[in-house]
Amino acid sequence: MNWGVRAVSIVAAVGFCFLIQTVSLGFGADIQRLIALAGLYVTLAVSLNLINGITGQFSIGHAAFYMIGAYTTGYLSIQFLKNSGMPGPVWLLLMMLAGAIMASLAGLVVGLPSLRLKGDYLAIVTLGFGEIVRIIVVNSPFDVSFFGVFKFFTFPNLGGAYALDKIPAIRELWLIWLLAVVCIAVCRNLLKTAHGLAFLSVREDEVASLAMGVNVTRIKVTAFMIGSAFAGAAGALLAHYETSILPSTFAMDVSFIILTMVVLGGTGSITGSALAAITLFALPEVLRRNKEPVTGGTFLAIVIGVIAAVVLIRWFQNEYHGSKNKKTAGYFASVAASAIVAFGLTFALNAIPALHDKAFEGSKLRMVIFAGSLIIVMLIRPEGVFAHHEFSWTWLKKVLRIKPKSEALAT
Amino acid sequence: MSAVLSLKGATIRFGGLVAVNDVTFDIEKGDLFGLIGPNGAGKTTCFNLITGVYRPTSGEIFFNEKLINGLAPNRICAMGIARTFQNIRLFQALTVLENVVIGGFLRHKASLASALAYLPPAITETSRLEREAMDLLEVLDLADVAQTRSADLPYGKQRRLEIARAMATQPELLLLDEPAAGMNPNEKEDLAQTVRLIRDQFGKTILLIEHDMKFVMGICEKIVVLDHGEEIAYGPPSAIRNDPKVIEAYLGEAV
Repeated sequence: MNWGVRAVSIVAAVGFCFLIQTVSLGFGADIQRLIALAGLYVTLAVSLNLINGITGQFSIGHAAFYMIGAYTTGYLSIQFLKNSGMPGPVWLLLMMLAGAIMASLAGLVVGLPSLRLKGDYLAIVTLGFGEIVRIIVVNSPFDVSFFGVFKFFTFPNLGGAYALDKIPAIRELWLIWLLAVVCIAVCRNLLKTAHGLAFLSVREDEVASLAMGVNVTRIKVTAFMIGSAFAGAAGALLAHYETSILPSTFAMDVSFIILTMVVLGGTGSITGSALAAITLFALPEVLRRNKEPVTGGTFLAIVIGVIAAVVLIRWFQNEYHGSKNKKTAGYFASVAASAIVAFGLTFALNAIPALHDKAFEGSKLRMVIFAGSLIIVMLIRPEGVFAHHEFSWTWLKKVLRIKPKSEALAT
Repeated sequence: MSAVLSLKGATIRFGGLVAVNDVTFDIEKGDLFGLIGPNGAGKTTCFNLITGVYRPTSGEIFFNEKLINGLAPNRICAMGIARTFQNIRLFQALTVLENVVIGGFLRHKASLASALAYLPPAITETSRLEREAMDLLEVLDLADVAQTRSADLPYGKQRRLEIARAMATQPELLLLDEPAAGMNPNEKEDLAQTVRLIRDQFGKTILLIEHDMKFVMGICEKIVVLDHGEEIAYGPPSAIRNDPKVIEAYLGEAV
């Protein structure tokens, strides 16, 4: 291993986190918050990818681990931060650890049924687990007793259905992004070693893995524990960034969004999960800012254009038998042709008064566009944007078809 | 000399169906042992009993005089029994080399923590396993396709890769489930040579299931014949060939 390269990349990664912090300080608090949340979603998507994409255990309860991390550390901070006298960042690191430990214990609990269940069945169990965690919090405080006879202890008040608020604010943007970078690095390291292959083998074929002496039980539970530990640490960061957290912040739809990020990016691809997390998180937020009115005619024209583009691209994918270059040209041509059609239609349709007079505010269409783009990606590229590929410089060269010249020059 | 593997009255019932009934045989070290029988005779079920996929309803299975009934498949593999599958079960999305490395994974000595941090123990262990895997691929004549996705291999090579992967666990006993299925005569001849090579050069004991009589008779030194889960014959090929019960099982009752 080249320690020099390694040291440089570690320094670069930490530098990158501070750069994000420095840059974001130039923006307002709302943008800063979005940058922070984007970092947390990267962690969540990449850690779910470890469970779902790399180990092949279909989990849709990832928000529960996020929630456990957030509530555990939020509660601890409210109780103990003042008296501890620790500086903020150190305390936050400690809380990340606490959140990670609690969440990975929960991961252990969820990992155990996964030893007996597969696919859809496991998905239902993880979904149920997510709801159980949320409902426990919503109903807190309550007495834990044996049919009301013996009271064991009182479950602490976590704010019930209202917010757990007054969590001390510790906002370290660099730490949020550092967690994301560490999560990516850990997954990447895993995949570079024989251990990673064992994880992949469980996804590929459990029976064959067992027959090859791979301890499938252990690998599944480990994947759940590592994945949920990262989600728990992310939860800790969220709690101290937002200072007030609600059960609805961690509802089922959050789990589904994280799952969507993994699937859309390409199941098993770390690069895909990370980029999809940023894109899917940013898309509705960017669209939310669009206050321009969109007339009915324009909207209809764009819908028609998009449908035309998808149909044409699908045709080039399935029916057209030409060289790869010609196919790629076909895709671009489809998009260009559809864009021209849509542009033309905009004028034609807006000439109709009924369509012209009906206008929406752009931001109101954001969930339509969000949902629409998910459908489009799944239609055109069901294996996810990155499929099973990872970003690397060699991969980039291969995609751009640059022949490695450096070897010839070096000799 | 004690047996490497011995089945003593191994029986498994699925509800009312007795898939394997009271099967008893011993495999000595270095044997090239055949397990044959018509369709549905219980051959693969027998493999599943030995490798721990199923737990025998009654009877005992000993590996090097240790009782292995009902141990988990991965434990049994770690003890030194590896198998291939009748319906090929490769890790399809992974490359040929990666498939074989997974076979060697049970011998890795680096901790998970060192893998997650990409520290020298994990790196050297991984490259050691890769080297070992490459050596095996050389022997099985798959080195040229080491970087190919295993699903993209032609059928015959997939079968050979199954053997390579099983060999990577460094077993004492190798179970081959219909290794020659779907192969043409040339490929079968190659395979027969490979199987002999594994036995003679690597000193493995081999138990194989096969439908192709010519293949089995040509390669195996001892054969057990199953029919409807019952053991109907046990002996060298010459004896099996002329056993009236075997002929009846394969060709039907004499008129």
